Amino acid sequence: MLKLLYILCLALVFFTGCSSKDISQINASTYPQEKKLTTDEDMNDELFDEFEDDTKTKDIFDPFSGYNRFMTSFNDKLYIYALTPISRGYNTVIHYEIRKSISNLFNNLQYPTRVTNNILQAKFQNAAEETGRFVLNTTIGILGLFDPAKNYFNLEAHEEDFGQTLGYYGVGGGPHIVLPLFGPSNLRDAISIIPDSYLNPIDYTNREWFTLTDTWWTYLGAKSYEYVNEFSLNVDSYDRLKEDSIDLYPYLRDVYEQYRDKQIKE
Amino acid sequence: MSNIFKKILFIFSIFVFTQNLIANEQIDVKNKLLDKMDKIIIIVQNKNIPISKRNNKIIDLLTPTFDFELMAKLSLGKKAWKELNAENKKKFTKLYVKRMEKSYSSKLDKYSNEVVEVKEIQQPKKNRIYLITDLVNNNKKLEIIYKYYKPKNQKLNKDNWLIYDVEILGVSILKTDKAQFKEFLQTNTIYALMEVISK
Repeated sequence: MLKLLYILCLALVFFTGCSSKDISQINASTYPQEKKLTTDEDMNDELFDEFEDDTKTKDIFDPFSGYNRFMTSFNDKLYIYALTPISRGYNTVIHYEIRKSISNLFNNLQYPTRVTNNILQAKFQNAAEETGRFVLNTTIGILGLFDPAKNYFNLEAHEEDFGQTLGYYGVGGGPHIVLPLFGPSNLRDAISIIPDSYLNPIDYTNREWFTLTDTWWTYLGAKSYEYVNEFSLNVDSYDRLKEDSIDLYPYLRDVYEQYRDKQIKE
Repeated sequence: MSNIFKKILFIFSIFVFTQNLIANEQIDVKNKLLDKMDKIIIIVQNKNIPISKRNNKIIDLLTPTFDFELMAKLSLGKKAWKELNAENKKKFTKLYVKRMEKSYSSKLDKYSNEVVEVKEIQQPKKNRIYLITDLVNNNKKLEIIYKYYKPKNQKLNKDNWLIYDVEILGVSILKTDKAQFKEFLQTNTIYALMEVISK
């Protein structure tokens, strides 16, 4: 009995392929007129259909494309003729490690933004890790100049901003908008800069809570310095990104929207 | 009783065997990629090889793993591809492949001791494998997903699993190219596109 079952099983597992082939052969010989010759065209159609999901691109709402194009080329010139030479000069004067530490310092100051947005998205584990990072980096890491939380305690940063929080709750990006200096954005993310800035200690308004800067000029100075320092760490990134573009504006717009979608999904 | 037990064991072992085959396929794909990356890193770190020769060597190494021809086709899209005649199809594919090679080579020039780590393998369909990797440098991680498919019939001089898309930080090469080409072709001809990508 057992032997019979074994044979049956074997037959089932290994010969299903053969038997279905037999049936198809019978069909083909019985109804030869139904046999279709697969042409190159058919194969192409099949191929495009098979990969449809992989190539499906989101249609981006773009009523401001005229302005966006202008701002993209304005930013492009700004990056090439102002920011890149300034950053290169800055790079030769200031050592990488120092620039990295300054970047860490600014990054540590954005802890309130990150933790709030993690909590708003119910990512409590990440919020707790961010808090751990802030405590460790502010104390052992000397006001955030160093990142011992990552290097020694394996605590990764969890970047979240208000744009991502809105995206998390299903708010779409809205029309694409290229911001001066900051580059590609959309309505959702551009508006989100405001609530995020309320949580940043670098600020220009008179607030009741602690801020590092109080006037427009100190604010602008601190922000510009942060910007140039950040740019100096990745001077070549923009050039490298640009290399693969055919038409800069739609290319950057697409890269931005895909990248933000990914960030929101995480 | 023991008979029933044996039967269950037998069916279970078949199940394990087939699962094993799937797992092996994933591991094969992973090992092949890591092996290639190791070879590339050795070539890049060898400063005695002139750059043009080095790039050619690396492209020869990668060509069997990438289905550039499929990428060219998919990024142009069904409609535009069908409008091309056989000769232009060939020409477009050739230019697209050259462009990919150039883009990859220029990224290699910036290489500075990054290491590839595979952190996850997904198989969303029987003939698809996604290798989710991190490019690690100085504690910084860059997520890169290599998307493989298995063609029905193995292609000449190609591996049996082929990369058809690479996603860097969520940005897919295929999707970005498709969107770019589509937008460009709205106001330009295919000849203008070929002119641009040949630069």
